[in-house]
Amino acid sequence: MKVDPGTYESLPDVTPLGSALDWKWLRGAKSEWGVHPKPSPRGLTMLDIAVGEYGEVPEHPTHRSMAPRGADIDPDTVDMGYILNRKTDVWADNVRELYEEAVARQWSATRDIPWGELQELPDDIEHAMCQLCTLLTEVEMIAADLPAKWMWRMNHDFIEAKMFLCTQIMDEARHAEVFRKRALSNGGGLLVSRSSPTSLLRTIMEAKTYTQASALLHLLGEGFILDIFRMGEMISPTDVEKRMFRMAMQDEARHVAYGTMHLRYAVQQDPDVAEEIHEALDHGEQVLMDFGASPDVATALAVLLGGGVEYIEEKGFPLAFEMNRKQFTSYLARCERAGVSRLERTTVPLDFLGIDPDDIRRAGGVSLGANASAS
Amino acid sequence: MSPYSLEVAHANAAAIDTVAFFAALADEMNANPDRFSVLGEAEMDAVLVMQSDDHDFCINLRFEGMRCDEVVEVLADVVHLADFCLEGSLSAWRAMFSDIVENGRATGMQTINALTLLGEEIKLVGSDPMGIDKFSRFNQTLQEFLDGAVVAFASTMKP
Repeated sequence: MKVDPGTYESLPDVTPLGSALDWKWLRGAKSEWGVHPKPSPRGLTMLDIAVGEYGEVPEHPTHRSMAPRGADIDPDTVDMGYILNRKTDVWADNVRELYEEAVARQWSATRDIPWGELQELPDDIEHAMCQLCTLLTEVEMIAADLPAKWMWRMNHDFIEAKMFLCTQIMDEARHAEVFRKRALSNGGGLLVSRSSPTSLLRTIMEAKTYTQASALLHLLGEGFILDIFRMGEMISPTDVEKRMFRMAMQDEARHVAYGTMHLRYAVQQDPDVAEEIHEALDHGEQVLMDFGASPDVATALAVLLGGGVEYIEEKGFPLAFEMNRKQFTSYLARCERAGVSRLERTTVPLDFLGIDPDDIRRAGGVSLGANASAS
Repeated sequence: MSPYSLEVAHANAAAIDTVAFFAALADEMNANPDRFSVLGEAEMDAVLVMQSDDHDFCINLRFEGMRCDEVVEVLADVVHLADFCLEGSLSAWRAMFSDIVENGRATGMQTINALTLLGEEIKLVGSDPMGIDKFSRFNQTLQEFLDGAVVAFASTMKP
């Protein structure tokens, strides 16, 4: 809708108290006036409103303020001290979709878990579940603290990425809540916490760049936790735990999806970033292997996988080994997808785990756009 | 459940490797938005493959929003186009649905996550790790959909 510039000429220049007035916003500030994004069947999504200039995310924003992208921004806006000012620093092509998904699929650890169906469990199984929940309560909040550490440094033009990370922070708060509740709700409690998880968390927190942090957190750490959630669901003694792990699994997979595609975007735009990511993962994989082998994690999972302490050698440890193989296979396939192949560089003992690099290459080295319908 | 799905399910009470059975599951989902709205929208294409000596039955399920909008039998050579594919013997799928009918929902090692994580009887495969991860991103929706067999299948067993 084009407005005649003379339409608002007769408006007052000062307030009744004598302060100067500025009608720029009404008299034709630069904007795409008349834009009418169409709601999708789900409602008006962030993808729907990414139209025209509003949908264009600049590679190098010129502002360092919190002014909304697409507004008519004063050139002398305050510098907020952002240091992540390149789109490649934070962006992922799926970030708007993932934000909408996150908002749509929020759940409540209070309401959506059938706590009333908890059952008394054999002592060793309850101990093992409580130990697993102790560990998960400890590690989950890193995935809230880390985005929080970097978000205020991200240029505000990347608002969709920041919004997605806000959902991740909420997700992780809920995960810490649900695992704490499970540990405390069935006669057990919080059990042992030792230094190994904290070493991993510290490695993630101390990453030098956000992209390194994202590689360590989203791709490596959360990828592994996603598989632990999948394991947790499989070995859950009742539907209470099954639902708890399934709901958490859904959230975690979104975070992994963001990280994988962020790294892919960063490497596509600047191949030199790959070395930066590799450096982080060289160290991160080692710390993660130490974490996985730490006695509390390995034994609690093995007891649950085996179905009790009496089956730990016959069934628990062999199944835990098989699960480790699957964890590393998924991780390495995601690395391929992200464009940072680890197959020639990883110190993960692939032969020992029985992982064939050619299988990984086939599974992960696909191009974008493989999500077409089969029908 | 809609009268249509009851009718279809009645006619195919014992056959899970049919379009009609999965159409009944889709009807059950689409008739109960309240059960799925708490889980939120889902966007995924999944192919389920049921292998038997005779032939492989491949069914493509498209989930959009809070509905399963497409149930289409597809040829084995296009299953890789879906986000992910769940492959197993017909007997493994029967065991999974029997567990659902018996217990009111999948239990123990018969949830779709447990079956595919173990990967001995039903495998989770796909050509893209991002597509495969959608299995995890929408897992509760998929499980709830399969648990619909309690109504779409078990109720048809009544005399």
